[in-house]
Formats: sequence, structure tokens, C-alpha cells
Amino acid sequence: MLKASIDIDLLRDSITALSVIVSEVRLKIKPDGISVKAVDAANVAMVIFDLKAGAFDSYTAEETEVGIDLVKLNDILGIVEKKTLVDMELDMTAQKLHLNFGGLSYTLSLLDPSTIRSEPRVPQLDLPARVVLNGQDLKRAVKAAEKISDHMTLGVAGDIFFMEAKGDTDQVRLEMGTDQLIDLKSGEANSLFSLDYLLDIIKSAGKANEVTLSIGCDFPILIEFDVAPNACHVTFLLAPRIESD
Amino acid sequence: MGVAIGDLLERDEISRSDLKGKIVAFDAYNVIYQFLTTVRGRDGKPLTDSNGNPTSHLSGVLYRTSSFVEDGIKPVFVFDGVPPELKAETLDKRREIREAAHEKWALAMERGDTAEILKYSQAAVKIDPQVVEESKMLLSLMGIPVIEAPSEGEAQASYMADKGDVDFVSSQDYDAFIFGAKSVIRNLTVSGKRKLPGKSVYVDVLPEKVDLNKNLARMEISKDQFIDLALCVGTDFNKGIDRVGAKTALKLIKEYGGYAEILKSKGLDEQIERYAAAKEFFKNPPVTDDYTIQWTKPDKEKMIEFLCSKRDFSEERVTSAWQKINAAFETKTKQPTLDQWF
Repeated sequence: MLKASIDIDLLRDSITALSVIVSEVRLKIKPDGISVKAVDAANVAMVIFDLKAGAFDSYTAEETEVGIDLVKLNDILGIVEKKTLVDMELDMTAQKLHLNFGGLSYTLSLLDPSTIRSEPRVPQLDLPARVVLNGQDLKRAVKAAEKISDHMTLGVAGDIFFMEAKGDTDQVRLEMGTDQLIDLKSGEANSLFSLDYLLDIIKSAGKANEVTLSIGCDFPILIEFDVAPNACHVTFLLAPRIESD
Repeated sequence: MGVAIGDLLERDEISRSDLKGKIVAFDAYNVIYQFLTTVRGRDGKPLTDSNGNPTSHLSGVLYRTSSFVEDGIKPVFVFDGVPPELKAETLDKRREIREAAHEKWALAMERGDTAEILKYSQAAVKIDPQVVEESKMLLSLMGIPVIEAPSEGEAQASYMADKGDVDFVSSQDYDAFIFGAKSVIRNLTVSGKRKLPGKSVYVDVLPEKVDLNKNLARMEISKDQFIDLALCVGTDFNKGIDRVGAKTALKLIKEYGGYAEILKSKGLDEQIERYAAAKEFFKNPPVTDDYTIQWTKPDKEKMIEFLCSKRDFSEERVTSAWQKINAAFETKTKQPTLDQWF
């Protein structure tokens, strides 16, 4: 059971962040909020999504699990005007999600959760370096890397966080010291990541005031940020690319 | 060939670049059949070497596969094994159609009717053991994984997709859905323009992704009912109900719930056993875990020896195809999955 109202901008930004790596998800609905853990089809990226009950203007829920087609949901949310309040109600018997906004009433068919990949376990990683930076700075570096390569290195050397991409002939490097970062925990870190994934992730992360990166050496990276403070928290876990022989 | 339920399914157009980095399992017999019918010379005749042996399949395997690899797609070919007994009638019927087409082809040749020659030469196409063995050999020389299914290739490919070992199944048929595939890529192996069957009309053909869950939600039926729907239309393993096409079958499924109730309502109780056997095959087809998905370095010398020395291919074009595959193989970094850190 779910009956809730939420501001469209927050809902849209949250669902956009969730949609970065998956198109169908199992939503876990609980009295304290809605959560998702999902991996992409290639098993390279994971998203851990937490939309708290406090993010809603009103929220009443009993524990349940539903399957949602995010592409359809995004389509519907795309036409809602800014600052509109969206009313949501689940009909578990008919397997529908009703969305009401601005006089419009949408009914979205739910997907059978058993046809969607089950929730993954989250690996426990001990990542030595931690960098907190503005989302815009991360976005700028990823966009610069895209011009010359299809992957980029993220790492920490001493008190410097660096992002570097090398193409066949060109290269780009961005360094940030502690004065330009919000926070830095120094540690040995140097891992390579696919820009296909990073470009998708920064669409959401690029808007956040603070993005926390936890990095190791040839280890997955954790990219964490709030879509809205105390309302929606998203974590991406991305496997590194490994240099082969 | 396959179950005729295409009219019911909505598809999303995609581009090849959407499949970059994705592992795609090709239903090999389906693909080779397309190569044999569509890879033809300007005169509409199948390609042959100087000894008259067919080479359309080799040409398709070499050039199409290398262009997939160039686009970042990671192909895997899944070959059929032993056909189930349930398929015997379908195979007999296909043989009859082929034999009839052979006769009409010969008559069209006598008349010099170009359109009919093409039509019946395509209908007469048969995938013989030599074509299969040569295709497997070329794929192996190209370093592309070849997987032998114990029975139906689409069943094995769907199983591998369900396990997460491949991202997509590629086939022109919809049978993969009945075997449990969640999304199927169509039109990947057919090039830009295709002639409509029986007409002199050519249409643009773009790759498309068909997603089963979305279609089930839209049709408001379960996966199990979808299998029943296919059985009512007719599959390779059972004859459907007379005069029941896909749309009628959907109506019947919604009205009656499942195939057994529909057959009973039509007084076709004696068919229930056969439908049950076909359904059991679709739900639990023979599949194997004994496979390895690994791309190896393409062997340029052996590709040239096989294709150029024996089958009259141009060394320049074979070398160019080899370069495309080799460039992908030599890429300096690999993308492991998250599983490694669990």
C-alpha cells in the first residue's frame, strides 16, 4: 500500500538519478521511504537509491515491493509542470500506480517484480581515498575526457585529486588541491573507468553541490550524492576497467 | 519459421551504438538462414566460389560479424543441437515447401522470370551440415565464441541471457520470448533495405529491441499466459487453432485464461496433451551450462588460407575484416563486472 504526495521537481530528479543505469526496477516501499538496489544488465554498475518519507509532502505506506518501468515513468513525469504536487497511489489488486497532477490522472501498469533482476548484495569495499567535490567540477572533467577517450583515470596522489584521460595522441588532466576540494582523505588511489557509465552518472551527480568519491587502486568507485539534502540519497558503484596484457 | 505473434508486440527502434559493449547471443541457424537468402550477387543468385559451392553464409559471417565487432558489439553464436521430436512435423513441412520451391525455381529458370527465380531460390534454401560446419569453423578462426545448444539455439541463448552471461538475444523469430528471453534484438543481421516478401517493395530496416515485460504489462497478461497465447497461434512444436491469429488468441486468453480452457471451449480436448507437451518444452527446454564465452585473437593466416585459397575471397577484404576484429581484441583495457568484488 502507498498513498503519497511529492513535489514534481524532487520526484523527477530522483527518478532521473535512479534511471541512469537501469530501465526497470523493483521498488521497495516501506513506512520510512522508498529504496532500490539494482545492477545494470552488464553487471558493471550498481545503484543504491533511498527516497526518504520526509521527502514527501504526505506519505503513508505499508511494506511492499513493486516492479516499475522507469522509461515510462520518466515519460509521464516529463510533461508535469514545475512546482506541481504529484499524488501517487498504488492499487496492488489491479497492479497499477495512479499518478494525479494538475487535473491529469495517469494509470501506470506495474511490472511483475519476479521478472526483474533481484536486488544485488552490496560488496563491502575498503577504499583508501575519499574526495568530496562540487558536482560541476566532476562533470567538467568527465566532459573534457570524453573529447579524447572512452575511459578516464580517477586517483589521488598526496594531497592532489586528479582526473586524467589519454587518447591515441592526446591527453587531458585536471588536478585539484585541498583548496579547491570540499574535503580530501588522502590514500593510494588510481583506477580507470568507462566514460560510457561516468557520462550517464554525471547527468545527475553533476547537479549536486557535494559529490563524495571513494577510490582505490583498480577497485570499484563509490559515487555518492544527495539529489536533495535529507530527502533523496543516491550511491553508484562502478567497476573499474583493468589494463590487460 | 517461429511463432507469428509479431503483430502483438511493440518495439523500440535502437541504433547499433546502443549495443556498444554488450554481449549479444545470435541464434546461429536463424542468422545463417538470413545470410543464405539475402547475401546474393547482383543477379539475385547466391554467392558461390569457382567450384559452385555456396559462399553466402561465409560472406555474411565474415563481413557482418566483423562490422558488429567494429561497433563494439560482442557477438556469441549459439547453434541448434538435436531437434526435439515435437518438431518433426514442422521439419517435414519445411522440407515439402523447399522441395516444391525447387521445382518452381527450375520452371522459373526455364522461363527466365527473374522475380520468380529470386523468390523460389530463397524459398529453396536449406542449411546443410557443410554450411553449418564451415560457419562454425570461420567463426572460430575469427575468435568468436561458438556455443552448441543441446537442442534449440534460442532456448540456450535465452537461458544464457537469464543467467546474465549475455545481455541480449538476437533473432528474427519471437520464439526466444517463449523460451524466457526478456528482450530480443531484431533486424541486427539484415542490412539497411529489405524487400517485402512477395512484393517488389523495399523498406528501410532498423534494429529494434522488443521488451517482453513491457509488452506483457501492456497486454495485461502473465508470462505463462503468453506461452499459452503462442501455443494457440501455433509454434514449431504444435499446430495452432484453425483461424486463430495473434490478436484473436490474445482475446481468447483474456476471456478463458489459458490454452486448455480455450481448447475445451472449441471441443478440441484431444489437443490438450500435445499443447501441454509443447508448453513443457518451452518452459523447461534442454539447455547446458557447459559453455565458455571468451573471445580469442583472430587468426589472420588461417582466415586467408580458408577463405582466399579455398573459397576465392579477396585477400584485401578478408584482411580488412580481420583488422576490425583484431582492433577490438587488442583494446588495451577490459571491463570486468562487479561480481569480482563480492
